[in-house]
Formats: sequence, structure tokens, C-alpha cells
Amino acid sequence: MTEVMPDLAIETRGLVKRYRNVDAVNGLNLSVPRGAVYALVGRNGSGKTTTIRMLLDLARPDAGTARVLGMDSHVERVAVLERVGYVSDRPLLGGWTGEQLVRFTGGFYPRWSDELVARYVQVFDIPMKQKFRNMSRGNQTKMWLLLALAQQPEVLILDEPTAGLDPVVTDQLLRVLVEDVASDGRTVFLSSHHLAEVERIADWVGMIDKGRLLLETPMEELRAKFRRIQVAGVAEMTPVAAMRVRRSGGSTEYVVRDGAEEFVDALEREGATVLQSSPMNLSEIFLECLSAEGKERE
Amino acid sequence: MIFRIHSGSGVPIYLQIEAQVKQAVAAGALERDEAMPSIRQLAADLRVNPNTVARAYSNLEREGTIRTVPGGGTFVAARGTGLVKAEKLRRVRPIATQLAVEAKQVELTEADTVRLVEEAWEMLGTRNGVEHD
Repeated sequence: MTEVMPDLAIETRGLVKRYRNVDAVNGLNLSVPRGAVYALVGRNGSGKTTTIRMLLDLARPDAGTARVLGMDSHVERVAVLERVGYVSDRPLLGGWTGEQLVRFTGGFYPRWSDELVARYVQVFDIPMKQKFRNMSRGNQTKMWLLLALAQQPEVLILDEPTAGLDPVVTDQLLRVLVEDVASDGRTVFLSSHHLAEVERIADWVGMIDKGRLLLETPMEELRAKFRRIQVAGVAEMTPVAAMRVRRSGGSTEYVVRDGAEEFVDALEREGATVLQSSPMNLSEIFLECLSAEGKERE
Repeated sequence: MIFRIHSGSGVPIYLQIEAQVKQAVAAGALERDEAMPSIRQLAADLRVNPNTVARAYSNLEREGTIRTVPGGGTFVAARGTGLVKAEKLRRVRPIATQLAVEAKQVELTEADTVRLVEEAWEMLGTRNGVEHD
């Protein structure tokens, strides 16, 4: 286990990408610590893939900068790509077999390991003589992952790695991420909308909506601070960090993003009966953040 | 020792791990000096972040449930948590409060409720019996 070093594996500042009139990414500031398993979560079309493409110089920002391992993704493109693995759900050279892809890709990476290729071919049970385009969705993802892991990247970037995978392949993939990448102190940056998965393997989370960052924080902090508090009767108090207050006939429900304990104490001093102060899972927190953001813009 | 993590519950994963280790020790499923899985191993088995397991282990070590031998692994510690009684009470009191609330809610008597605790106590067996001050 490595301590999280103060420097950042990935850093974007004021990142903007427009497609026609749409701001796909709109002034994004991401700070991904080295050694983190960082999940960028958001709805479909929130800008996750566009962000990842700019990190890898597959798309050019209209404004702002993207840096990986301290290097500008565009200016130092080759040096970045040598040290970063990338897994996507896009097609690789479809007419090539797994074996051909391995031979071709290996030539580009100074730290390429044939031992790792052999190991993951076995672990993942990939049909290496099949053409990529004829492989199942699960095997295609495994092929991407094999190529990314064999180059021994310092940063592994995965765009929706588990989308469309069956539970068995999903489980294999998560195990490899935890055991072979995260446990080595290497950085994992993944986009996802599978929040239950993310909640287990990520230790940092960034929430993005309409190309903007809603929140970026260590996972444990998020879970420690957000609380849903239910009070009997109609309480008039409003906590400082309230995200939502709902009063109905017999009770009041608060969602707070901080200071839950102090607020519960204050309520009880006022004579209110606190029925429940319960933690929230990532999915609930995400929905609250989205709805709070929506209200702010109205 | 088989751990189970419930992702959707909102209970932090490191707390789930801590609770399950303590429960296993209390029930005798994990015995003194038994080796615990390594952080990497347990993280991989549960598909959870290694830092999460590390956090659970360091909390368990601090309160004396497990001990780590530098370079030699992690083991279930000798019984006796090393906590002062006030701290022990502080930890268990919220659970007792919760129990009392639930019991009253379904209109159990105090005697019935106490009896439940006694039964639970007996089920953990004599192996890890009462710790006297």
C-alpha cells in the first residue's frame, strides 16, 4: 500500500470541448491523486468519454489543459501514451486476430511484457486466434485490457469498462483491477454509471453533469458526511449544509452533505424527535447532487 | 472466514469488514493466532479498494482485535481488546438503545428483551466468555 503522493496522476484545468453548439465538457477541473482508484461518474452524455479522449489526445480541447503524470496530453503525447493504458468499448483493428494485435501493439511500448500477455490470455481465457470483430463483447473488453496491462502502465484509463459485460466477466475485470493494478499503487481512472461497482472499488469519486464537475472527494469522506435525517413532526430548523428539506404531514426529511451529528444534536436540544439519521449509498448521493444542481440552475 | 459486502446498504465497507471480523472472533470462527488474509488478497476477493481493507485492518489493529507482524502477515490477536470499560460501554450503548427502541415498538417486555440478549450471549459459546475487569 502506498501513501497517496501529493502530486497528481491526472489534472485538468478549465477544460472545454464544444461539439457544434453543445458544451460537451464545460470548464472541467479534475485532480486525480497518484495511486487512487478514481471513478468519474455521470449520466450518459455528461462528458465522461469526451474528457477521457482529451486526456489521451484523441480529441483536442477548445480551451484549458489536460495533464497526465505532469505532462501535457497534447504537447507530450507520445510520452503520455507510453505510460498510460487505455481501455474502451470502441473497436480495435477488427480484421486482426488477438495474436496479431498483441504483436502489433507490443512494438510501441518500452515496458511491454510478453509474460503478462501469456498470463492474461490464460486468466481471461481469450480466443487469440479469433478476429477481433468476431469476438464476443466480453472478449473484446478483455482484449483491450490485455493490451493495456501488458504495457505495464503507470496510469490505467478505462472508459465504461463494464458496460454491456456479463456478471462473470465484470467480476474478472474488477478482480484484476484491484489485485494487479490498485494493489501495486498504480493509478486507475475509470468512467462509469454502475454506481454499486464504483462504490466498492474506487477510493475517489468525481461527479460530472453537463460537462461540469459537481463534486470531487475521497469516497469514504462522501459516505461519512452525507446523511438522510428524519424527524417526527414538522421541524422548522434548516441545517447549514442542507441539500434538501421535505416537510410532509407527520415528518420532516433532510438530506445534509456535512455536519449531520451537530445538526441532530441541535434538533434534539430543540426538543425534536429524530427518528433516523442514516448513511446513503453512492447512487442516492448522486441523485441528490443532480437534483440540487438542477434547482440551482432554475 | 468468508466475508460478504453489501454495496447498496450505505454502511461504509471498512465498517462492514470490521464488524464481520469482530463477529467471527466473538463467535470463535476466527481463533487466536489464526492468520488473516493479506490486504491485497482480501481486497481482490471482495473486489473492493485495497485502501478500504487497509483502513479496516488498521482500525482492528488499533483496538487490539488483530495484530500485524512486520513482514510476517496479520493474525488474530489474543483475546482482550485493551479498551477501558468506559470505551466499551460507549461503543455498545447505541446498539442497546436501538434494541430497546425496537423491542418497545413491537411491545416486548423488558424481561423478554433481556432474555433475548442472554440467548444471543449463550449462542456465542463459552469459548469467548465474559471478560472480567
